[in-house]
Amino acid sequence: MKTMKVTFHVNDEKVTLHVRPYETLLETLRERLDLIGAKEACGVGACGACTVVVNGIPLRSCLVLTPEVDGASITTIEGLGKDGKLHPLQEAFMEKGAVQCGFCTSGMILTAKALLDRNKRPTKKEIIKTISSNICRCTGYKKIVEAVEKAAEKSV
Amino acid sequence: MENEFTTVGKRVVRSDSLAKVTGEACYTADIKLPGMLAAKVLRSPYPHAKILRIDLKRALKVPGVKAAISGFDTYGIKWGVFRYTKDHPMLPTDKVRYIGEDVAAVAAVDEETALEALSHIRVDYEPLPAVFDPEEAMQEGAPQIHKEFTNNINIHVNIDVGKVDEAMNKAFLVREDTFKAAGEAYAMKEPYAVVASYKNGFLDLWMPNAGPHVRAKALSNLLKMPLNRVRIRHINSGGAFGGRSEVSPGDLIASFLSIKAGRPVKLVLSREENATSTRQVHDIIATVKTGMKKDGTIVAKDYRAVYDGGAYSSTGPIATSIPFYVYEECYRFRNVRYNGYRVFTNKGIRGMYGCHGRAFLAGNEAQMDFMAKELGMDPVEIRLKNGLTSGEVTATKSKITSCGLKETIQKASEKTGFKKKWARTQRFKGIGMGCVAMMCGFPMGFRSGSSCYVKMNEDGQVTLVTGVIDNGQGNESLAIQVASEVLGVPMEDINLVNADTEATNLDPGSYSQASTFVGANAVKVACENARRKIVAIAAQKLGVKEADIGLKDRMAYSRKTPDNKMRISWAAREAFFRGEPIVGTGSFFPKIDFEREWVSRPWGQMAGTFSFGTSVAEVAIDSETGKVSIPHFTAAHDCGRPINPMAVEGQMEGSIQQAGVATIMEGNLWEGGFLLNPDLLEYKVPLACDMPDIETIIVSSRDPEGPFGAKEGGLTIRMNAHSAVACAVSNATGTVFRELPLTPDRVLNALQRKKGVKR
Ligand code: FES
Ligand code: FES
Repeated sequence: MKTMKVTFHVNDEKVTLHVRPYETLLETLRERLDLIGAKEACGVGACGACTVVVNGIPLRSCLVLTPEVDGASITTIEGLGKDGKLHPLQEAFMEKGAVQCGFCTSGMILTAKALLDRNKRPTKKEIIKTISSNICRCTGYKKIVEAVEKAAEKSV
Repeated sequence: MENEFTTVGKRVVRSDSLAKVTGEACYTADIKLPGMLAAKVLRSPYPHAKILRIDLKRALKVPGVKAAISGFDTYGIKWGVFRYTKDHPMLPTDKVRYIGEDVAAVAAVDEETALEALSHIRVDYEPLPAVFDPEEAMQEGAPQIHKEFTNNINIHVNIDVGKVDEAMNKAFLVREDTFKAAGEAYAMKEPYAVVASYKNGFLDLWMPNAGPHVRAKALSNLLKMPLNRVRIRHINSGGAFGGRSEVSPGDLIASFLSIKAGRPVKLVLSREENATSTRQVHDIIATVKTGMKKDGTIVAKDYRAVYDGGAYSSTGPIATSIPFYVYEECYRFRNVRYNGYRVFTNKGIRGMYGCHGRAFLAGNEAQMDFMAKELGMDPVEIRLKNGLTSGEVTATKSKITSCGLKETIQKASEKTGFKKKWARTQRFKGIGMGCVAMMCGFPMGFRSGSSCYVKMNEDGQVTLVTGVIDNGQGNESLAIQVASEVLGVPMEDINLVNADTEATNLDPGSYSQASTFVGANAVKVACENARRKIVAIAAQKLGVKEADIGLKDRMAYSRKTPDNKMRISWAAREAFFRGEPIVGTGSFFPKIDFEREWVSRPWGQMAGTFSFGTSVAEVAIDSETGKVSIPHFTAAHDCGRPINPMAVEGQMEGSIQQAGVATIMEGNLWEGGFLLNPDLLEYKVPLACDMPDIETIIVSSRDPEGPFGAKEGGLTIRMNAHSAVACAVSNATGTVFRELPLTPDRVLNALQRKKGVKR
């Protein structure tokens, strides 16, 4: 089968792969790179479980074809903590009880991270609007919003 | 009093959350095993058809295919929870009964090959007439889905207490309404997945499940293997909400494929398959007739509820009963008759749901409000008047031992200014209240109890072994927190080994609200037994009485002279020297009436205890479009003593989303036997922007039997949040709602129905 050569950075590590042209980034991350933090919950862009940050933008990796990310820099949940320390969002999600089953959690945290990276002090409204791209079936979102607010306070 | 505990009652960080925020938590679809194959399932395109032939030969010839099966490769044993409900072959050989039913399956080196192989399976069907509406299915002459069940009546629950007709005749006010509700989608975030690995006569299985021991037993029957060779292993679960309680056709399929291929097999369902072919929620039609005295006392209730049961029995008797029970455990009914019918239709297999029975529950509550109004009362008064209190016995003879219903009603109404808002309703605004009780565990025979084993290692660290399972609610953390409190070591010193049928003992699972009241109670007893050994050694070493010993922060100390202390780990090592290590086992078995049977003997003690709650929703209606918004939602919950208040709040908030907000937007849509909205694009679940401002109030009480006084946490709100919203919308439109969800078209209709409302 014809494959394409793709080079990109994942969590600051350079990877070069030969992938089928129709392979999704989600498949590549999960199946080839063992980065299982990105989840498949719908496969059609409806839920955000597969969200990763590509060049600063949160994208649904189930809708992205791997050849499209050639040359890009990608952050997954596995690359969020630095030097053995959790990212403030990760800490806040734990402390605020924003995690229940956890299946939405990596997508939520990465969506929030992209927000905080471009807007250090988002209002509650902005947080709600931003995370409305992602479905959580467990929490009712209240504690997720509180966690993002807390992380924003901390990182200033 | 509140400070007597070190961790119980504190807002602790859940033990499972670290792995989940780092992406390390492993779910079934994440598992990779050497030589693992991918499985795919061929599904029925017909709602009802005879199977004439299934030919797998060509599929088996596709390169890369390692095994293929149909029902003809199984033992043909039918599954059912009860003796009288064994009707589900999981892989049928006689006929298919719903679109999406599992017919055949293959395992291949990868998914693409498996998919290709499916297209080479040949199935010859002879389509049969089908029936999709339960009322039609009950009629004489309707297509028969199972020959053992005449007129497709799967279950009839008949409860008759007191003298209903007489009381109804004498009642001052009588009202009858019929309510309908579409079943919701569970829409758990994780689509169903199974990994099966068969080696040397032993089968290991991973799947999201709500009770590993119950699951193992079902599979051991279906596979004709002893229980100790069918091992359900621990794995994280991406939500259950009642939909992961029963054995699933996928479990059997993955198992047989692995046995045939001699290699591990992974089956991951798509979002659509999760909706069409795992469990679905019952659609319900409920007729509620209520008689009241002039003072608002309910004197009689007469019910007829019809449950669209889909193609097989599933937990039928339970599903047919629960809405009634959670209501009769809340209010005083001297005369009550309930006729619940669960009827087969050619739709998917159904199960219990955390919000099960919304037509019945919301219908009762909305009707009560309008009757109250006629009598010059308000929803608060009428609920307080009819609500049960501690020490009372329900219509079907369950004693209520601890009851904070009254407090939840009062707190929720005070917080929202309910009475005032109700008295002066503004145009297109409404407020509504829903109450319910919740059994903490229900009778499951000898499976109603739980056991735990705990050991302390020589370094003072603890291993806790329990069947308690976590589907995201926080049950694992709960077990650890309870052990931490009893043993005087921090939560991080405790390693939990749970929900693994070869290591853990029978446990009822997490679907009868038993995890806290039963599972955590067993943990507490086991840890207390281990604690006694630590205390005995410490008392000796410190030269004080055993009663004077306290355990805290890894230390055993004298309460009178706290400086007189030693490390708990020393006691552990000393215990090894004495040849009597610090171990403990403990069990808890709730006091319930085991003669009780859902159909044949529907009375007797249902559960060890009951929790209570009140939800209040405030809604606004856009009079142009009929769209409802819910700006505020308040929930008050008597959960006994909350072990982790933050986790209880989380359950309440999730319930407000899944039951409350769902009331205006969620419902499965059908075209005959075809589910129109199986994915998350067509089926809208509430997002952050759809959520109200939430206020949760924990009414902390002390249950005499619960661990540290705890009961179930959260499900009560899941079972009354829909009522609050439906009542609020009824209040705003001035007319009792008829059908859920309350979509804009229905709300507009209601506004038009109500004369005198200017648009
Ligand atoms: S899995 Fe990609 S958006 Fe749902
Ligand atoms: S925590 Fe379960 S989906 Fe968000």
